[in-house]
Amino acid sequence: MIRFALALSFLAAPAMAGGLKVESPMVPLAPPGVMAHAAYFTLTNTGDTPRQLIGVSADGYMMAHIHMTEVKDDIATMSSVDVLEIAPGQSVAFERGGLHVMLMRPSAALEDGGTVALTLQFANGEAFPVEAKVMPMMGAKHSHGS
Amino acid sequence: MKQIAALAFALLSTPVTAQVQGVMLDEPVELPAFAFTNELGEDFTQADLDGNWTIVMFGFLSCPDVCPFTLGNLEAAVAETGMRVRPDSVPKVAFISVDPDRDAGYISEYAKFFHPEFESFTGTREQINTLVEATDSFYRILDPDHTGYYEVQHSSSVSVIAPDGTLRAKLQPPFDPGMTAEFLARLQIQYRRELTQ
Repeated sequence: MIRFALALSFLAAPAMAGGLKVESPMVPLAPPGVMAHAAYFTLTNTGDTPRQLIGVSADGYMMAHIHMTEVKDDIATMSSVDVLEIAPGQSVAFERGGLHVMLMRPSAALEDGGTVALTLQFANGEAFPVEAKVMPMMGAKHSHGS
Repeated sequence: MKQIAALAFALLSTPVTAQVQGVMLDEPVELPAFAFTNELGEDFTQADLDGNWTIVMFGFLSCPDVCPFTLGNLEAAVAETGMRVRPDSVPKVAFISVDPDRDAGYISEYAKFFHPEFESFTGTREQINTLVEATDSFYRILDPDHTGYYEVQHSSSVSVIAPDGTLRAKLQPPFDPGMTAEFLARLQIQYRRELTQ
């Protein structure tokens, strides 16, 4: 029930501006003391020109990077993504085991129900604010469509 | 060779439609002596494998995506397994950091976050390499960037160790709770059958 309610609240108010839409921004609660955790969301280019996401910053963190997890032959590797091109009409999912925002060196511990203020930076100079909700990690039951 | 044979075996013995959540090894693999510890002074050695099923996962704490995802899924998978096997056959979970330089100071808290009974440890490079090699796992610490930050590559699968201390299987992502539990229950049935033969 709680999850359902959260889903509704996300649906009700996607962040939208300048041909961009961000849905379901979230930061899973992380173990105490860890120096890095992740933020996830879905980013859609609702405009009619291609957009390039070139960086992310996060309040309360020393650094934030766009990262991609790849698992190949049983080896998990993370790599930085310098430019993420999003075509008009395209949605890009930042999700477990794929693209994610890596948040490094938090200044404070995460609290359930709190928020993390992210700013997405685009090549055209636009800075797009996103407020990600801190919530317990969703179990595996959610994520296995494939 | 060992891996290829094991994988082929698993593919033959499971329906093609089932998602492969694990690979049973053809032959149990004996593990060498090892010793890990954490900042609370708790240790994890070969003796801890005796008499219970153990899942060992290698990772590192600056791992924002894969490691929390795996441990979160293992928590769900172990809970599911608990509904299928006897309480004393529910696997224990040990997380071993391959990055002691960054993680040794607070390693004990990590796995507990996902389940109060999960434990986490690290150790010397030599001990890490010993168990990584013995379990046919992998990790590599990449070169640091200009800020000194470095990435770590590591196996995405985890090792399943039987109560006799031998490596019996590997679990593979996505660690679907139901299917992983089913795999573990089958593995235990096969293990008991071997013991009674």
